[in-house]
Amino acid sequence: MTTDPNQRSDADRLPSQQDHYGASIDHDEPVVVIVGSGAGGGTLAYELTAKGVPCVVLEAGPYLMPEDYHNDEWASFQQMAWLDARTASGPYRVARDFPNLPAWVVKAVGGSTTHWSGATPRFREHEFRTRTYYGEVEGANLLDWPIGLADLEPYYDRAERAIGSTHRHGRPPLPANNNYKVFANGAEKIGYKFYATGPYGTNAEPYDGRPASIQDGFNFQGDKSTAKWSTAVREIPRAVATGKCDLRPSSQAVQVTHDASGHVNAVLYVDGAGNLHRQAATVVCVAGNSIESPRLLLMSASSLHPDGLANGSGQVGRNYMRHLTGSVYARFEQPVHMYRGETMAGIVADEARQDTSRGFVGGYYLETLSLGPAFLAAFADPGGWGPDFTDVMDAYQNTAGLWIVGEDMPQEQNRVTLHPSVTDQWGLPASDVWFADHANDEAMRAHGYSRADLMYEAVGAVGVHHTPPYPATHNLGTCRLSARPEDGVADGWGQAHEVPGLFISDGSAMTSGAAANPTLTIVALAIRQAEFIADQLGKGGL
Amino acid sequence: MPDTSTDGGVDAAQRRALVALLRAAYPHARFPDGPYERTADAIIGQAQGDLWHRLQLSEGLATLDGRAEGDGGFAGLDQAAALSVLREIEDAPFFRFIRAAAVVALYDDAEVHELLGYGGPSFEQGGYLHRGFDDLDWLPTPRVEEYDGPEQLVEVAPDDVPAPTSTQGASA
Repeated sequence: MTTDPNQRSDADRLPSQQDHYGASIDHDEPVVVIVGSGAGGGTLAYELTAKGVPCVVLEAGPYLMPEDYHNDEWASFQQMAWLDARTASGPYRVARDFPNLPAWVVKAVGGSTTHWSGATPRFREHEFRTRTYYGEVEGANLLDWPIGLADLEPYYDRAERAIGSTHRHGRPPLPANNNYKVFANGAEKIGYKFYATGPYGTNAEPYDGRPASIQDGFNFQGDKSTAKWSTAVREIPRAVATGKCDLRPSSQAVQVTHDASGHVNAVLYVDGAGNLHRQAATVVCVAGNSIESPRLLLMSASSLHPDGLANGSGQVGRNYMRHLTGSVYARFEQPVHMYRGETMAGIVADEARQDTSRGFVGGYYLETLSLGPAFLAAFADPGGWGPDFTDVMDAYQNTAGLWIVGEDMPQEQNRVTLHPSVTDQWGLPASDVWFADHANDEAMRAHGYSRADLMYEAVGAVGVHHTPPYPATHNLGTCRLSARPEDGVADGWGQAHEVPGLFISDGSAMTSGAAANPTLTIVALAIRQAEFIADQLGKGGL
Repeated sequence: MPDTSTDGGVDAAQRRALVALLRAAYPHARFPDGPYERTADAIIGQAQGDLWHRLQLSEGLATLDGRAEGDGGFAGLDQAAALSVLREIEDAPFFRFIRAAAVVALYDDAEVHELLGYGGPSFEQGGYLHRGFDDLDWLPTPRVEEYDGPEQLVEVAPDDVPAPTSTQGASA
């Protein structure tokens, strides 16, 4: 896999790129500065500017338009994946197979909503209270969230309407594609009940100004049709249209600074040409995903915050979660053509529950998944070769696939740190991601593999292949919410315990990861946080 | 160490050995030589830009010939014999380099996509909506709506409900 950090993606050379989009906000005018434009940052930008609050959005990547996206796995990867220097370390297999790619996330306006697949289950009540429900799990740093499902329910409703989740609020389900037919028939045969083609963030019929799915099969590559929700096609253009949003692509945040009283006052960032800028800030919302967000706080150490901004608890960068994950590819005697249609429009929820008689705490979903031959070859068994490997590839046409996505344990040792010697293209310390599975993760993954095998064997699979976890698409927990300042980084609104005006606004805020795909919850948290920030700014409270 | 050419090139015999290596390492009976040859050229091209990989590739391919018994060199071995030679050198850096490049080049090839039955880019053709996204006919068409029968998903098993009086940290 090409992950040379010195190789600039073709997106950086797009002729259409502007220095900024929307309002021109003076660098000395203190405003809300949002770092990142994905599920959290993009949502905040829209929700705040729609309320009349001026915002500057700093996005490290370019502003890709739907016509820029590629129907080609490697070309798209080179176009939008975050390929700046990073390292993976620790005993997990990703560190060996993809030592410079701990995560597969997006560096572009829209962040990782650009390549998200679209599954939108909600967290369950007990998943906000894991310390209470799971008890003392050795080696795990479990903690109850400072908020619960009841706090988020109204915002889940709003997030589902923003995304246009199928099966919710009158939105119809997507039809069954080939991969789902195998998946759902298998689920039914082994007694599962709670399966469907959603909830899923892609239109089954035209909605919100965007068309219905054409089942093109390129969700992970940006979806040229725009049937799929992303902040790049909904929140960001709308924020820019308010006249209150100054969107600056190719702007890598370097430091968040504070005044003598400790209140945030600016963000330093480097533009695409390497020039350093300072944007004054009343409020800073950090939404760079769970590797960049802690990196930014760690790079922002000051005399008041010697171990990194807002890191008095020592929890910044720790408790890194990446969801359980694992995939199963099953071979059949007849064609499947799994690549045709919506990549993840198939969800089994029957195992997403707390039932320790299965041998582990927490739960997981099974979700349809398809890769093209290029990515299947890269990820099915990284480093694999020989007849066993080519058997998997030869069966491509007759293969069905699914993904296991479940709650992994927060562990203090699983951690994002600043690498002592590796730097990015600006000379800034790269992130190192150290990760080890917890025994609970391994037990849950084994259970997921076995249930997936049963599903596929029940509908005639002639062979199954277990694929290890990919570079992480769900990156969580590194700036977690906590009721007490000593246990985490931010409070129930996402405001840093120790730094007035600093907010955590992405999946790094998650105190636990739950079984569900995180995007819906990140959006719900961001809508709720935007209300709080606008309210506080109105009262002069920030 | 065998003599290594210093002009940066891989000679025709070495290229043949590389193609044979790729066919042995990634055996697809359905694939003609074209995809393997293009993959070999991609690997040679990648090695050109990197002195260390170029030296390793050249030396590694020469070593392979040395390990193959008979006059035909590695390219003359049958599949089983070639596979067994490759298993012996599985951890050799040059073979790792080849695999890392090959797994990308071989399976990112339009002819290979067609041979494997992958439809590829679809947006310009209206996606797969009218081109078979749901044409699987050997299983019944399943329900797409969520379950609305009598059963409820039990989010927390009865034995896993914490005692009502317990607070954080109690009765673990």
